[in-house]
Amino acid sequence: MFAWLETTPIAMWVGLSLWAYPMLLAAHIVGLAIVVGIFAMRDLRLLGLFPALDPAAFLAPGRLAWIGFIVNAVSGILLFTSQAVTFVNNTPFLIKIMAILTGMALAGVIQSRLRRLVTAVSNSGNVLVPAQIEGTTRAVAAASLGCWLTAIIAGRLIAYF
Amino acid sequence: MLDALARAALDSPLNQWIQATYWLWPILEIIHFVGLTLLLGGLLIIDLRIAGHFRRLNPLAIHGLLPLVLAGFSLNLVTGVLFFIGDPMRYSINIGFQVKMGLIFLAGLNALLYYWKVAPLVPRLAAGDGSPMLARLVAYASLALWAGVLLSGRLIPYVGTG
Repeated sequence: MFAWLETTPIAMWVGLSLWAYPMLLAAHIVGLAIVVGIFAMRDLRLLGLFPALDPAAFLAPGRLAWIGFIVNAVSGILLFTSQAVTFVNNTPFLIKIMAILTGMALAGVIQSRLRRLVTAVSNSGNVLVPAQIEGTTRAVAAASLGCWLTAIIAGRLIAYF
Repeated sequence: MLDALARAALDSPLNQWIQATYWLWPILEIIHFVGLTLLLGGLLIIDLRIAGHFRRLNPLAIHGLLPLVLAGFSLNLVTGVLFFIGDPMRYSINIGFQVKMGLIFLAGLNALLYYWKVAPLVPRLAAGDGSPMLARLVAYASLALWAGVLLSGRLIPYVGTG
């Protein structure tokens, strides 16, 4: 199936066009900065850094991060098609994909918890203080940070394995 | 100038050590990528708030992200200098690298403009407030310049000499 994927017109275009591969890589690094950059700031806030910032305010940047994820899913799938057989047999690539899927699942959990914080705060009329971030939310944030760090490390190592 | 720096780096002890240490390059690349996410992640949130988005964020509190941005820049300055020393003839003549250095210089000037003209306005803004025109321009210029740094940097292996 992966060998067939490499022979599809879209894969041939990515592999053979002079500019397709570098342009997709360029889109992929902008998407990386948006997704991992925003999620890392959010996770560090939930872990207690920059206490003056309202953690619930990371709901809106979180939505921008999902747009970055779509950019990288599309560019990533296109890059994948050109060398599908090589990639599915590359251990760092498989680790990267697992880390990203876990990181996105955890992002869904964190977004829903932030939404609950916003509702709780607007109902009580209180100003949000860091103590209101639950221990389990901190644990999810730490795991999310670990996922994105793993994705970056594994992603860089694809070329070396 | 890049040419003189490249000749100074070539065959220096540090150059030889980086060339001979096979595991060093991927480690430097990983640190460079972690640095770029801290730099760009922090700037995205700061600049978009200063440009008037994400208004729930308190504009003054957002400066709390700056140490992380500077930490990311420092990581990338150190790893970037080591890349250059490790392979000076590849980078100094590369048009992608030259454009990237030029854009980082412009981003630095834009950051000075921010400190000089925009930062003094920030304490007057509250969460929910929009931003003056100059603040929006400087913030969007910052994002555009750093996006250009990412793009020109990523294209270094694919573009020719200049």
